[in-house]
Amino acid sequence: MDEKRAVEIRTRNLGVTFKDNQGRDVLALTNVNLEIYKGEFIALLGPSGCGKTTLLRCVADLQQPTEGDLHIQGMTPKEVRLQKKFGFVFQQPVLFDWRTVKKNVELPLEIMGYTKKERSELADEMLEMVGLKDFAKHYPKQLSGGMQQRANIARALGLKPDILLMDEPFSALDEFTKEKLHEDLLRIWRETNKTILFVTHSIQESVFLSDRVCVLSPHPGRLSAVVDIDLPRPRSLDMRDEPHFNELVAKVRNSFEGGSV
Amino acid sequence: MVAGSKRTPENVLPHLHQIIQAVFSGKKVSGDMTAIGLVLSSAGLTLFRALLGFVVGAVSGFILALLMKLSGFVEKLLFPYLMLIQLIPVLGLAPIILSVTGDINVSRVVIAGILSFYPVATNTLSGFKAVEKDKYDLMFVYASKPRELYTKVLIPSSLPYFFTGLKIAAPMAVTASILVDTLQGDGGLGCILSQSLKHAMSIYVFWIIVFVSALIGILSSKVIGWIEIGVSPWKRTGKRSRKVRT
Repeated sequence: MDEKRAVEIRTRNLGVTFKDNQGRDVLALTNVNLEIYKGEFIALLGPSGCGKTTLLRCVADLQQPTEGDLHIQGMTPKEVRLQKKFGFVFQQPVLFDWRTVKKNVELPLEIMGYTKKERSELADEMLEMVGLKDFAKHYPKQLSGGMQQRANIARALGLKPDILLMDEPFSALDEFTKEKLHEDLLRIWRETNKTILFVTHSIQESVFLSDRVCVLSPHPGRLSAVVDIDLPRPRSLDMRDEPHFNELVAKVRNSFEGGSV
Repeated sequence: MVAGSKRTPENVLPHLHQIIQAVFSGKKVSGDMTAIGLVLSSAGLTLFRALLGFVVGAVSGFILALLMKLSGFVEKLLFPYLMLIQLIPVLGLAPIILSVTGDINVSRVVIAGILSFYPVATNTLSGFKAVEKDKYDLMFVYASKPRELYTKVLIPSSLPYFFTGLKIAAPMAVTASILVDTLQGDGGLGCILSQSLKHAMSIYVFWIIVFVSALIGILSSKVIGWIEIGVSPWKRTGKRSRKVRT
């Protein structure tokens, strides 16, 4: 972990100001300075209104920063987006009802102009990875919520993006499905070595998954701490019962500004 | 069993069995045509124009919805006028169209088109507008071209709404076409409908027409439903197959 590591995403004094309904300025995010290394698993943690999703959307070029700057591999988010280096997993599966699971996974590949054969092979590979190989010909409505979210992840991985952005992807799922997907996500991350930005409001989830937890506090949204998670890899679910896991959870919880949330 | 044209309470509102008997009666009511033969041949004439108008209305309704989606300016410009056209009663609109086109057949097509057009356009437009923000964001992150946003997301999303519009429009097109018939005496369901009402023909013909047109209206809506299921395989699988669990 100590060798010289390439910085993938760098923000400098990043800030975002919205206009609310009455036209007043609302400071959603201010003065964020962060360096994210290539291949790192970063959790963005905080209560609602802390700007964690805003930060993720800035990286994805879905939101324009109003102060400071943000560079990815030395480029602007827009340049990186146009090079199609992002995979984005939304909180909702955002699948298209009229496409089979496989055709859904192929959608970004169609946009990229892959041939039919390439699309089919890549989609099969991704479906295999998320464990949906047998459901390729099903329509999204026939799948459970957990399986839909897997299809969503498979679609985001299909382009083999450098950076995977995940916006509370598991928050709508039940605990059992969530644990299964945590293990799957860590395995996929290990196999593909992507940089992952994972937005969550669950302290346990952030500690279990990530290398570093970026703790954001609200009003105004700001980065209040970055906690290193030194749990060994690969991680297994029973690590959650170890004292060190709970120490880390407590450390993260105490790093919110203004005490615990 | 087909009675003469003298009106009695009995033959103004005949029993259902009398009407059914009249359907199968071989008695000639007009020239060498039986009641049902006359109704069906007139229905053919009316329906063909209704169908033509319906197709024209559906296609132009869809294209207009697309234009309104593409440009908010077009929507602001056109929408009030579309509603205005819809507000004119067909009874008033039909003579205007007839005097403009000068041809009853063209008028049937135009009126059926105008009536089909509005439900198709409004429903399709709300289909375009119902697409969630996440889907736009998804396509944006993948840097899709605007054309791809339409062909891969917006148009397929709007199809169920488009079909809802068609289901509303189909019976309306039939009704409108019948109404236009009443304006001129050269055949069509509406024409013999008004003749049978004005004692010029058996009252049973009137009742047969009422039932036949109702049936056609229901059928036209059903047929649209079948076509929809036919072109949307994802709807077919929905009911029968069970949900799969993780």
